[in-house]
Amino acid sequence: MTTSAVKQEQKASPGVLNFIVGLAIVVALAFLARWFKDQVYGIKDLGGLGIPGKVLEFPIWAALVGLIANYILKAVKFFEYPKSGFRTELFLKIGLVLLGAGISFKVIVTAAGGAIIQGIIMVAAVYFFSWWLGGKFGLPDTLRAVMSTAVSICGVSAAIAAAGSVLAKKEEITYVTALVIVTALPLMVIAPLIAGALNMPEPVAGAWFGGNVDTTAAVVGAGTIYGETAQKIASIVKQTQNVLIGVVAFLLALYFTTVVEGKKEKPSASIIWQRFPKFVLGFLVASLIFTFGWIDKDVAGKAIGGMKDWAFCLAFVCMGLELEISGFKKMGWSPVIVYLIVTIFNTLLALAISWLIFGWLFPVSL
Amino acid sequence: MNIKINEDWLATIIAFVLLILAMVNVISAEMVKF
Repeated sequence: MTTSAVKQEQKASPGVLNFIVGLAIVVALAFLARWFKDQVYGIKDLGGLGIPGKVLEFPIWAALVGLIANYILKAVKFFEYPKSGFRTELFLKIGLVLLGAGISFKVIVTAAGGAIIQGIIMVAAVYFFSWWLGGKFGLPDTLRAVMSTAVSICGVSAAIAAAGSVLAKKEEITYVTALVIVTALPLMVIAPLIAGALNMPEPVAGAWFGGNVDTTAAVVGAGTIYGETAQKIASIVKQTQNVLIGVVAFLLALYFTTVVEGKKEKPSASIIWQRFPKFVLGFLVASLIFTFGWIDKDVAGKAIGGMKDWAFCLAFVCMGLELEISGFKKMGWSPVIVYLIVTIFNTLLALAISWLIFGWLFPVSL
Repeated sequence: MNIKINEDWLATIIAFVLLILAMVNVISAEMVKF
């Protein structure tokens, strides 16, 4: 590498200061979101509309505050500098591991049993429906693969894993990522409202959010809005689906190298471990610590619960901050239509399957 | 300096540090009340 190339790289890559400034912005916005939540939480009738203030849980405020800051930072051209501190996934994973420290291992095993069945049915049905519909709309195979994986498994991280397997273009990943977040944000708010209107029990609603909403952050958000049990079940179901990312990435790589590219060598199965969401191991160990009774529920348990909420709040703020819609114009509207149709299919199928599995086959009580 | 570390492991380590600090009462519920 030449000296000028080194200098260019140093200039292009974000530094510690960028990260700290970004983090400070996220923390300040999280405090603001909490302040908004506190202001309206006790109000019984918001603006005479018959809506109780407690419906507006903190994920809504955090995402909203993040979205507004996203708009302002871009308008004043100060978005790129602190961007490296906007880490939705990092905060979310910290929150999920901490959440594990409040769930008994028995509940995880019971819920994961149902979640595996639900996950296999949902991932297979939604993946192939999306792949078929994308073909009907004439989308390129790489975009179909990335989009189908994103909508059937877990939004952004699945899209990235699939893109690596099928060597998708960078703009296809950016595009699908934007689609995932744009649809997940409203679903995070709408899904709990529908669940409430249908009077769904919390475990069933949690399983529905976990199987339906595309990003883990929005799943946790929807669960948090609906209730504590819904948050736990939604997180377990979603993480079980996330574990399938590696398997799908491997199968996709196998299909694209052998069928599409016609090569004889097969991809290594080590991709399954590479794509395995390792924080899930942390979630399980934290749950074991809780199950062994090493965490005092009334003392340490409350502190862990508080930190978990802060971590999730930081993640939801980042989700609003990271929304990027400029990529839509480049690819036209066909992929948007495909994505929306598949999302509706996903929503209805998940509703039926979660009722069947968590309402009847594997009822979970916390 | 470019920060490159597996995010899954980083998140797990941070979460466990926080978890242990709460278990030994260094972090109290009052300090992190949401």
